[in-house]
Amino acid sequence: MAKTMVIHLRTGSMMSMDSNVAVKLARAALEKGYNVHMFGYGEGITVIKEGQDPKRFPNVGKEIGELAAKGMTVVVCETCCMARGIHRGEEVKGTKVGSLTNDFSKFIKEGDKMITIAR
Amino acid sequence: MTSILFVMLKSPHENVNLELVDELGKGSKKAALLFEDAVYYAVDKKQGKHLSEHVDEVFVMADDLAARGFKGKATGMFKEIDYPEAVDVIMERYDRTVTI
Repeated sequence: MAKTMVIHLRTGSMMSMDSNVAVKLARAALEKGYNVHMFGYGEGITVIKEGQDPKRFPNVGKEIGELAAKGMTVVVCETCCMARGIHRGEEVKGTKVGSLTNDFSKFIKEGDKMITIAR
Repeated sequence: MTSILFVMLKSPHENVNLELVDELGKGSKKAALLFEDAVYYAVDKKQGKHLSEHVDEVFVMADDLAARGFKGKATGMFKEIDYPEAVDVIMERYDRTVTI
């Protein structure tokens, strides 16, 4: 059974390169055959918003959608989404608006290693 | 002996509390994994020496050094790595990660 990496992302898609680091780590881990769970919290929830169109930056939403299609599990905190006016149904296909209680706790239980990307 | 990998994203010129590494890492083997502006530790002699006093090993993301004009410039104990090796360090070589 492949090991699982949990990526806990707390930085927004446009604030710094943090979300790009998270995406590159996730891609490398998937390519090495690991399972990958990503949980977005605080500003980290912004990565799943569909329709992101950054003119001159990597499109993290698109990349996360691609990695979700390759098997990465992506969940973000609903409370943090609502605080920022993002609602269920506005997430990138293959990702989920969930919760600390149900999803993040499960990720931590299932995960072999966790890395937090935060400032 | 347990081992802890300290993940660092911030520049040495921001407020980075390396005493945390000593506190959290007491009695463990300690390494640092440098992303983004934290890679400046690898090319700033004074800051690099300061970090080296707190950890046993340092990994530096080659991508981030190159993005900042320092491709291949890491010296001494600073080992340049790519993303596949970063995954290996996280998943296989250290017991857990702490982000500071």
